Amino acid sequence: MTPNHHLDDATLLSYSAGALPMGLAVVAATHLERCVACRTHLHEADQIGGVLIQQQRVDAPTEAARAAMLALLDAEPTIESLAPPPDVVAERDPDRLPSALQPWFGTSIRALRWRRVAPGVQRIRASGINGGDLMLLRVAPGSKLPLHSHQGNELTVILDGAYDDMLGHFGPGDAADLDGETTHQPVTSPGLSCICVAATDAPLKFSGWIARTLQLVLGF
Amino acid sequence: MAAVAVQRDRASFMRIYDHYAPRLQRYLRNLGVPESMADELVQEVLLTLWRKAAMFDPARASLATWLYRVARNLYIDQVRREPHWLPIQEGLDRLDDDESSRLDSQPESCFDQDILKQAIDRLPPGQAKLVRMGYLESKSHSEISAELNMPLGSVKSSLRRAFAKLQASMRAPR
Repeated sequence: MTPNHHLDDATLLSYSAGALPMGLAVVAATHLERCVACRTHLHEADQIGGVLIQQQRVDAPTEAARAAMLALLDAEPTIESLAPPPDVVAERDPDRLPSALQPWFGTSIRALRWRRVAPGVQRIRASGINGGDLMLLRVAPGSKLPLHSHQGNELTVILDGAYDDMLGHFGPGDAADLDGETTHQPVTSPGLSCICVAATDAPLKFSGWIARTLQLVLGF
Repeated sequence: MAAVAVQRDRASFMRIYDHYAPRLQRYLRNLGVPESMADELVQEVLLTLWRKAAMFDPARASLATWLYRVARNLYIDQVRREPHWLPIQEGLDRLDDDESSRLDSQPESCFDQDILKQAIDRLPPGQAKLVRMGYLESKSHSEISAELNMPLGSVKSSLRRAFAKLQASMRAPR
């Protein structure tokens, strides 16, 4: 399914620059795996990086540096090894977590060990995220979350289920790329729990809908 | 570039080296990489090109872009020590390979770099500054916002406007 809600271009630019905080980059990659349109924008952003490094004023390399490079070429084997074949891409398995999330959460959605943090809300937080937070959330179907805004950046990608808010309907693969200017009130769709991955770039500032859900409505 | 791939032509390779090695070095030094480590990473980027010259597809990306991506990925992997970044990027690249073979279509041809250069030079100074802080200093939106005392939303909307102008230059018919 092609996503309908995409990464902000400012987010893609930052991803290309290697400047997106770690958790946000993981969630952005989760969307990029499913979104050809955003991957195309990312390639354009990479071209900007290529031109910017070209434009720098520099001196010619030293003879010593050139000699060192040539010595490295001498040390290279003459027979080029063939590139490994690409991984066999399995048919889309509904239980399989996106590749970008697997280092943090494993491969299987069914095998996830959820921790209940409030009625109707379960969470798994990733450890080892520098400068922010990365978590999986499972919100019960038909839950109405409080009206709220955000501080800092918060990026969410839906893995399963769906929710609606003033920005539209968000289903699997859709990205909600929000900052402090957005106020919204997500309502999860009936029938299926909404599983999403979310990241913030501001540790200890639990201000997005996730935190408000936990702190205000559900008494966490 | 074709000569490097087909004939393993050292002279052609060294012409590429002479142009790009100092630029990649400057890029990494600006990111705060110590000089000796930057030298090693530059060698590794160019060695990757030597090994993978046959896999470089000029219809997909310019050489500058290809080298930029390799240098950025090595920086994130080896300097910032984020071990999961590289496999994730390689996974995304494979998806693009699959996509282009599945569609059996010519990938987007490489645009004229000069047009993009001119478009970067034409950006309003404020937007150009934000773009450079992002790419050449690897500053996040929040860091730029704090450093320039500029609201986060304004940083993002300026970057969005800058990107739209640069995209327009890349997509313009020639």
